[in-house]
Amino acid sequence: MRKSADLKPNDISKPVDQLIQVDSLKTLPGPYSKDGMEPDFTEPKEAWKSKYCTSLDGFVGIDTLVRPSSPEEEDEFVRKFISGLEKVFADSNNNFLQPVQLTMDYCAKCNTCSEACHVFEATNHNELYRPIYRSEVLRKIYKKHFTTSGKLLGSVVGADIDVNWESIARLGELAYRCNLCRRCAQTCPLGLDNALMAREIRKIFSQEMGIAPTPLHTKGSMLQLQTGSSTGINKAALLDMLEFIEEDIEEKTGRKIKIPMDKKGADILLTHNAGEFMAWPENPAAFAILFEEAGLDWTLSSSMIGYDNVNYGLWYDDSQAKKVALQQFQAAKELGVRRIIIGECGHAHKAAAVSADRMTSGDNKVPVESFLPLLWELVETKRLKFDPEKNNFPVTLHDPCNFVRQMGIVQPQRNILKAICPQFREMTPHGVNNYCCGGGSGFAIMQSQNFAEFRNKVSARKKFEQIISAFGDEFENPDIIKYVCAPCSNCKGTIRDMFEFYEATAKFNVHYGGLVELMVNALVSQKEPFLTFEEDEF
Amino acid sequence: MVLSIYVILSVLCFIGFSSYKAWKYATMPMHSRLDLYPVPKEAGRAEYGGSYYEETEWWAKPRKVSHLGEIKDMLMEMLFIKKLFQNQRKLWWPSYSFHLGIYFLFAWTILLVISVAWPATFIVYLTSFVGIVGFILAFVGNVVLLMHRVFEQDLKKYTTPQEYFNLILILAVLVTGIYAWSGSMISGQAGQTVGQLISLQALEVGPALTIHLVLLGFMFFYIPLSKMNHYIGKYFTFHKVLWDNDPNLPGSKVEQDLQEAAANPPKTKWSAPHMNEGRDLNA
Ligand code: SF4
Ligand code: SF4
Repeated sequence: MRKSADLKPNDISKPVDQLIQVDSLKTLPGPYSKDGMEPDFTEPKEAWKSKYCTSLDGFVGIDTLVRPSSPEEEDEFVRKFISGLEKVFADSNNNFLQPVQLTMDYCAKCNTCSEACHVFEATNHNELYRPIYRSEVLRKIYKKHFTTSGKLLGSVVGADIDVNWESIARLGELAYRCNLCRRCAQTCPLGLDNALMAREIRKIFSQEMGIAPTPLHTKGSMLQLQTGSSTGINKAALLDMLEFIEEDIEEKTGRKIKIPMDKKGADILLTHNAGEFMAWPENPAAFAILFEEAGLDWTLSSSMIGYDNVNYGLWYDDSQAKKVALQQFQAAKELGVRRIIIGECGHAHKAAAVSADRMTSGDNKVPVESFLPLLWELVETKRLKFDPEKNNFPVTLHDPCNFVRQMGIVQPQRNILKAICPQFREMTPHGVNNYCCGGGSGFAIMQSQNFAEFRNKVSARKKFEQIISAFGDEFENPDIIKYVCAPCSNCKGTIRDMFEFYEATAKFNVHYGGLVELMVNALVSQKEPFLTFEEDEF
Repeated sequence: MVLSIYVILSVLCFIGFSSYKAWKYATMPMHSRLDLYPVPKEAGRAEYGGSYYEETEWWAKPRKVSHLGEIKDMLMEMLFIKKLFQNQRKLWWPSYSFHLGIYFLFAWTILLVISVAWPATFIVYLTSFVGIVGFILAFVGNVVLLMHRVFEQDLKKYTTPQEYFNLILILAVLVTGIYAWSGSMISGQAGQTVGQLISLQALEVGPALTIHLVLLGFMFFYIPLSKMNHYIGKYFTFHKVLWDNDPNLPGSKVEQDLQEAAANPPKTKWSAPHMNEGRDLNA
């Protein structure tokens, strides 16, 4: 096994059992600086090694990437990857051609982007996770196969790489060690985007080779297109759940609310990540309470995909992203609403507002907005009345990459928190310079084999460090309730698993949740605390 | 005469190839949005990275775009290489010295031409000063950058022979330039050579200047064909990708471009089974 410091891009094809090991992790602050505060990694089992590609770093991210059973299958795998790579630079990839070509052509190998990456930092600079490592491997393969200079001059221009099953499979896995958070791209003096390169690799695997992690594809976007939701919730189940939520609202707050469903011509179609209905029903409940109290003209949709705003295609497959996005617009069109308001889901924001913006035009579209400016307007204009004392405990804010760094929604959420949480404090850094929660780009829902350990110990490490630091001395005091406000389903899922993994809630009384729950908790009209910080509170 | 034509031709090729490259990028199909904030043209919000999405009903309100903000950011980048300064000071020093030196050498070339037409003493002195500073800055920057690349493992393992060649080529041009021009720069006679060059006369130059001009000409041919033409790419990466957050609203230019693009659907198809299921949404 190689020491990661020696690792070079063309080592990706080295015939070794495992290219590198995550042999060093950045020390966490506070109580977690002591040994024994976190479980160790699980070594890849023999059965995994013979079935999947564990030869990169010992983790399995793509559970559908299985070893070939014959040399023919091996060749076919490589052939397909190369044909997919060709398509990345053809009209089949018109939507990304210019940005991909720019990043492919111009990297100055200055490594300015390296320090921005939380995965690279968490592993104490493990070379494999340097943002340009995977880009450089892809660049070498591209040069070797598709450029005249590469064909004529080979290693002189960097086209020195062996392309075989192992190297391509490792590259596929490596594309799933990047959260696509684009923090590195912010620092590049040439404006290049290594996240885009990781996504293009994922795209080749999915769109050409038919290989993508099950939670993203088969049980993700495919399930959503078949049933209406990636959770598998169909219309009947949705209606049942909403009934249950209405009962809970009444029981807990005394309010009798009929959640508006399929209301034609409403001003607002509110869309949720359907995972909220199952995992955090208090979130759609809090939205309903706030919207009703403010007297908004709003509705949910029960039509296909109209009730699930997720769009996993964003992370790995343009065509899946487009199919889902168009169906979501369709649901809004059918109802004749004025605008779509996206609830607490980061990638759903970006998918519907930014990525889908140029997928269709004119009458096929409905304007898309974030819930954040709307809620801030309700706070600022005092349409909703709050008693901040009800939220008098330390609160910090996690900025979801998708709507902060990638959409520029920065102030409304902090304005709200400043107005309703007297002990609000920022993480360092925050806003557009935030760090990913570690669950971005699908990691939050990818649980195959030991992948969750990569997320909890590596990709989410920086966020955990930020959370501990944001609470300072109060972190260690179990008598003080602490709240991490994460207004995004995927980030919440990641933080939930992180707190479980590190036993942070159990040991240090640190909790997580959305923004709307904090708002309802502070409503003057709310008699009992909405947040009780107990398990299964809703 | 041959040398004059060669040098002039190389400059024309530099301009021609660079323009062609820019045209190639400019005519690429419209891409999906990849906004990355801060976007400097967001009036009143660029400072903290905000955008029009911070407004309710943003789509019904007039957009507040600050072209000045965009130009300011662009100038900061062009004049000071701001991103590198902020994010990697260690390499900024040599890189800035190198680029600033090149800017000075450009200015020197222009001043030389001016001094041919208007050989006032102060112009000649200014020309020499600018040239000397340019050569020193570019040389020092180039050598230090090269040293970083040769001695730092993190940089070395990603550097291809061609990338060393790029730096060494420019270094060779600078070294031969310093050697060949130093005498005439101090005496202020460099203008004469330039006068002969632009009037296509036979150049009265020794072997050192001949070698320098041959290398210089080659560099002008080569730069736009190599990735050293990042002066083109950088415009597109920022303005046309990371800062292009123009929404596709009814009646907008974006909408018009998209409709034009829709008339030419892609012909190449992806092969995975799900790509051909349901509506044809290839690409
Ligand atoms: S996008 Fe984020 S996770 Fe991926 S390489 Fe860049 S900084 Fe690292
Ligand atoms: S900062 Fe940009 S140019 Fe430098 S190594 Fe990273 S991607 Fe390449």
